[in-house]
Amino acid sequence: MDSSTASILTEVFFETLGYWYIIIPTIFLGLIVGGIPGFSAANTIIILMPLTLALDLQSGLVFMISLYCAARMGAGIPAILVNIPGTAGAAATPLDGYPMAKQGKGQQALAISFVASCIGGLLTTIIALAAMPILARVGFYMHSVEMIVVMLFGISLIASIAAQDMVKGLIAGFLGLMIGSIGTDVVYATPRGTFGFLELYDGVPLIPALVGLFAVSEAFVIIEKRVIVNHDGEPKAPNWGDTFEGVKIALSRWVHIVWTSIIGLVIGVIPGAGASIASFVAYQQSRSFSKTPEKYGTGHPEGLIAPESANNGVTSGTLVPLLVLGIPGGATAAIMLVVMQFHGVSFGPSLFENQPTVGYGMFMAMAVSYVFMFLTILPLSRYMSHVTTIPTIYLAPMIISFTLVGGFVPREYMFDMYLALAFGVLGYIARRTGYHVAAILIGVILGPLLEKYFLWSLKKSDGDIMVLFSSTLGNILWVAFALSIILPMVFSMRRKRKLEVPAE
Amino acid sequence: MSMKPTITRRALLGTGAAAATLTLATPGLLRASSFPERNFSVYIPTAEGGGADRNFRAFSSVWKTRLGVEFEPSFYPGASGRVGYEIYMGKAEPDAYNLLFGNIGPEVLNWAMQAPSFDINDYIYFGQVDKDPCCLFVGAESPLKTMDDIIAAAKTRKLNVGTSRMAHPASIGLLALGDKLGLEFNLIPLQGGKGTVAGAVTGEVDFSVLTSGSVIAAGDAVKTLLVFGNNIVGEALDNAPSINDAYDMDLPEMLSTRAFGIHKKAVDDYPDRFEVLTRTFKETHEDPALMEAYIASKGQPEYLVYAGVEECEAEKAAMLELGARYKSLLSGA
Repeated sequence: MDSSTASILTEVFFETLGYWYIIIPTIFLGLIVGGIPGFSAANTIIILMPLTLALDLQSGLVFMISLYCAARMGAGIPAILVNIPGTAGAAATPLDGYPMAKQGKGQQALAISFVASCIGGLLTTIIALAAMPILARVGFYMHSVEMIVVMLFGISLIASIAAQDMVKGLIAGFLGLMIGSIGTDVVYATPRGTFGFLELYDGVPLIPALVGLFAVSEAFVIIEKRVIVNHDGEPKAPNWGDTFEGVKIALSRWVHIVWTSIIGLVIGVIPGAGASIASFVAYQQSRSFSKTPEKYGTGHPEGLIAPESANNGVTSGTLVPLLVLGIPGGATAAIMLVVMQFHGVSFGPSLFENQPTVGYGMFMAMAVSYVFMFLTILPLSRYMSHVTTIPTIYLAPMIISFTLVGGFVPREYMFDMYLALAFGVLGYIARRTGYHVAAILIGVILGPLLEKYFLWSLKKSDGDIMVLFSSTLGNILWVAFALSIILPMVFSMRRKRKLEVPAE
Repeated sequence: MSMKPTITRRALLGTGAAAATLTLATPGLLRASSFPERNFSVYIPTAEGGGADRNFRAFSSVWKTRLGVEFEPSFYPGASGRVGYEIYMGKAEPDAYNLLFGNIGPEVLNWAMQAPSFDINDYIYFGQVDKDPCCLFVGAESPLKTMDDIIAAAKTRKLNVGTSRMAHPASIGLLALGDKLGLEFNLIPLQGGKGTVAGAVTGEVDFSVLTSGSVIAAGDAVKTLLVFGNNIVGEALDNAPSINDAYDMDLPEMLSTRAFGIHKKAVDDYPDRFEVLTRTFKETHEDPALMEAYIASKGQPEYLVYAGVEECEAEKAAMLELGARYKSLLSGA
């Protein structure tokens, strides 16, 4: 980094700090919209577009970035406390976050999530800033063939979940993949399995599926109990001690935060890939190389850190292709592009030559937002965790009505509310009969993406299946994928063998 | 008996209040008979954040000042635009307050591939916002730098070509080029303009074809090599030649035409409302503020061209005919 860049960065950093009066209210707005299922940074920016366009460039930029970061973090709050992931990017968060809340550790779980999100987000922002030219190249190597393997990393989580009950786990996973194949095909736009419903032409909408499988089904389950917290988990008065304990747990696993947030960053810089892929892949990798994989899914802090660090890593990652190549990495980045172009900003390779303060300013706005978020949100975990002690006779109807509205919001179809209810019933039956809803959901979320990359690969090779092994990077990923499946099994066998050897 | 006209305090106050109410209500009563009385809902069959979003916002920001109400967009992507049209035709009230903002080229081609559930004559396009020819472009770092490079490479292997969707005028332009040169190309639908640009830039495909407005907006990340129509913007499209000039062809222009549409029933039932829409639409085109807004949204001034019902309908018919001709190649049938 030369001295002129360093001076620009310093100047932009202090300038961004001066926008605290925009950042702090936006953080709270972002937390709210991120926490409400169906709302997101993208549709909030669209709703507030007249305001964003009326602001000057720097203010608009700071507003959008703060909202983006805060919404990402906000989505984790209801995922942890009431099993409602606000967005697909938070779909892996409840796997361990919600069991913690049920054990009366909601406050610790929130603190862990906030620390993992802020450190993950801040760290990846710094890495993205420092290594932008290199990261921008990732998209040049990660094509459809390579993305198939990345998808398989995430989908293989089904097998991990199925390990508890292989037949039921695989049935649930395949059911999810089948549901995920509903919609028009990516090549000729031919409708499949839509049962004539126009609303399914674009595939099964993610938010109704997400809130239905997780939240509505959970509401049906918790109504049978007095409060969310289990009988053996003590609903106790919130205190600072639990928050600090959560912070301590997260900080003691800083290597884990670093590692999984980098997974998020790398996946984030690939145009079209998103936070849902990153969080599932990070969770799967975290579990695969854990010394205690059996604890995942039971309220294990590392199972919460992995998806939260990763999905915040994606946030900074999506800015890289937008700024360097002019290609938005996701929906929010695409809308940012519209706003920025309205202000006359030209993205692409020349951005850092012509308007360096804009390019660096976006990363600085992100870094400053994460710092402010850490300071403002962490103390709130003490109060937020109260939710788990609300009697379920009030909480369950609230969850159902809240999530049905959330199911409606993204597309404004009544159909989506019915769909959320249908998924809720499916999820309830699955829970009561020992099928894992997460396995169904992974299929629903990652199945269509896997199919898209698979069909593109086959189309590019005129149907030759060997295209899957045609690239060097792809082959390296295949080996890594095989190792990530085999090595944990080997480690597990070794551990068992050690335990079987009597102590001398 | 003589009646002495008297007025009590109560009557005076009552009459005064009635008069005041009537006076205050008069503009409202007059407004009630005018059009529009409320905001317009605009159905857009693509995702937010793309070229349609940009154009819509630029145009409606000026149009709304003439009508005094807002244009509220709703985005319905999916199935190559089919979802948005089906929702508009199936669910939106045909009252001239519900409008469509589509792209005549690729979206009408869809109907040639697979007929929609409604009669395609039940809606019309009444006003063209802009029109740009499709083009062929490579990523800035592509090893294929010229058309000669592409032709030479295509003779050794089947090149993969990104397109927004199979049924797209740009796809037809490429297939026509392949016919002329005896080359075979493999079209890869990359689901939208952003994906198509990304595909060419990152090397997912060898090169891409797309509407030139979106290619220009991608800036120096791409380089245009050929235009499936007339290059009226010169340097903005890297001075790329027209396909007809370069290869001695007689291909009609492969155009992307963004236009507002409306239910035919609304036109028939509310001719006065339709007249307001078409008149103010044309006036908006004549307003210099539109050009400013269009350029601010990265539009090319040369592409901002007005066309009314007749021209739009003629293009709709031309696209249907073109689609029928290339159906087997574009639909996999």
